Amino acid sequence: MMRANCLVLLIAWAIYQPVFADDLDALNLADSAALSAVKPRDWNLFIEGMYGSVNLNNDQGDIPIDRLSLDLQVDTALTPELRFYVANRFDVSGQDHQHETVNTLKEAYLSWQMASNTALDLGRINQRNGVAMGYNPSDFFKVDALRSVVSIAPSSLRENRLGAGMIRGQYLWNSGAITALFAPKLADQRDSATFALDFGASNPRHRWQVSATQKISDGVAPQLIVFGEQGQSPQVGLNLSLLASDALSVYAEYSGGQSASLLNQSKQVDSPTRFYSRLATGATYTFPANVSVNLEYQYNGAALSKADWQALGQQPAAYWAYRSHVFSAQDMPTQYAAFAFVTWNDALVADLDLNWMFRHDLVDHSQQSWLEARYHFPRVDLALQWQYQQGSAGSVYGALPQRQSIQALLKYFF
Amino acid sequence: MTKLLMMVCSHFLVAVVWAAPTVPASPNAQSILSASDAIRNPDQPFGLTSTLIEYRNGKQVDTSTLAIYARADKQSGQFRNLIRFVAPQRDAGKLMLKNGTDLWFFDPASKASIRISPQQRLLGQAANGDVMTVNLAVDYSAQLAGEEEIQDGEKKTRTAYLLKLTAKNPEVTYHRIDYWVDRSTSRPIKAKFYSASDRLLKTAYYRKFDQQLGQERPTETVIIDGLDPQWVTVLRSSDFAFRDVPESWLQRDFLPRFKAE
Repeated sequence: MMRANCLVLLIAWAIYQPVFADDLDALNLADSAALSAVKPRDWNLFIEGMYGSVNLNNDQGDIPIDRLSLDLQVDTALTPELRFYVANRFDVSGQDHQHETVNTLKEAYLSWQMASNTALDLGRINQRNGVAMGYNPSDFFKVDALRSVVSIAPSSLRENRLGAGMIRGQYLWNSGAITALFAPKLADQRDSATFALDFGASNPRHRWQVSATQKISDGVAPQLIVFGEQGQSPQVGLNLSLLASDALSVYAEYSGGQSASLLNQSKQVDSPTRFYSRLATGATYTFPANVSVNLEYQYNGAALSKADWQALGQQPAAYWAYRSHVFSAQDMPTQYAAFAFVTWNDALVADLDLNWMFRHDLVDHSQQSWLEARYHFPRVDLALQWQYQQGSAGSVYGALPQRQSIQALLKYFF
Repeated sequence: MTKLLMMVCSHFLVAVVWAAPTVPASPNAQSILSASDAIRNPDQPFGLTSTLIEYRNGKQVDTSTLAIYARADKQSGQFRNLIRFVAPQRDAGKLMLKNGTDLWFFDPASKASIRISPQQRLLGQAANGDVMTVNLAVDYSAQLAGEEEIQDGEKKTRTAYLLKLTAKNPEVTYHRIDYWVDRSTSRPIKAKFYSASDRLLKTAYYRKFDQQLGQERPTETVIIDGLDPQWVTVLRSSDFAFRDVPESWLQRDFLPRFKAE
């Protein structure tokens, strides 16, 4: 009888669409949720420890690597209109038990919001341009900005760099903005002392930049940049990104101007100039299950062609001088490259992110792969990173002393 | 089996009885939707704090806090949002901007402004659109499917209009929505969100109505995943305040300067 009654009720339930058990469970769960709104804070601080091993080329075996980093950011309002920013990083990096300490004062500046649409900044500022993911030809202030390289991940290279001392003004209107800045020469030589402000790296000559963004239709707001530096012809930059569908965004970043080739720049001799273009264009597609795939094509007209690259490989001194110059400028050594970055958030389990970066030089077909598994605890990130280079001797990635490396990182957020 | 039947029976006892759809004289579906939007959202620029608490299988797995500024577009009526991540600490200070189909993410550490697509989720289960202030009447065409007696988020019985919402353009996060609006108060009660392939993505309950910015507004949304009902996100809103959000702030170039009060 009981079973019959329940059967009737079950049929009635199926017909009458009651609130499902799952919904009630969810609402009951929500009833028990503790209210824990967090107030915004003026500072962020984290400490990061790394331990790993590097496998060297030419059968030279493995060497241990380690690092301890402390990173602080402060963004505080001194008055309603005046804010103070500081971003500083301190690294103790070790390789084969030899350690060096480097402090990088990334930013320290005052920002005066003169009106809701007008602002003036003064101090050391990380001025970054560009919408591309792997190569930023219009990011003119990236040159010589690296002081301590802790990762080859593009986000790390953008973050852990020296800002330049400058005065910067911005004016906004409803559909656009214009930003102008001047970064004067403040020193002649780089300074590798641990706590050096290193204005020789960040402000080696007078530089200026004007950038303007204007919305021309819904979702289309190109940015035009004109950049100049002492003794050089002005360079033009252009940034544009579009949404192609609800899962696909596309972008293009361009720079062009009259200059010496990268090779002649590395030789530090007066040489004829010509117009060179640089380009990074790509797309990011997001699949269901939180997988985003970015593919990027990269071109640098001022870099070496296949024939010139092979020829330079026969001159070790000039070759390494060129590579050193290109690395400092964060530029491409050869003319063509491809880049891929795949991110899988909540991969298989919640709070586990998998990231894979792949660089392929389209001139010498060497390649670099970087894989990261990162798990987020409430205040701690635990990461494993594996990096692998492959290519013939003298190629972009095959010539690097390291063949592969593996490292474990622990990052604590205060 | 007996346990299952008992569970079904007990839930049947607390469940509301479904009433056959009866279309009233001539309530305008779009007007009902607009009235419901007006309860969720003030008619002038404002700010609030949203806290997302995420549960898996009854266990709290994630919490995040966002400071949100919203201003409606004069022409379209749709809200544009500036969002600052407050917690967890690893994301503190990161920003998101939504202006129409423009969605930008800014990281103050790397100064990188990256265009993201609506499918790129930054907040676990909740789609970016779920935390945004949205006027549904702008993006969806509403049809009145009938009236129903349903249970609201407080587990009380309400007489509700059932609106069938269809996306006016393909850029929106959800292709169609079943939306229940309280017949007497125009309060949103419940929504079911569907994909283009008509898969149930989420169910949401609007609840904990409280006097905020001159009106009783929902201060909590309970979001239940369509595939995994054990995946629940509680979205709590607090610190409502009218804010000056100038039009010129709603662009990528302003992001590095935005700091919510």
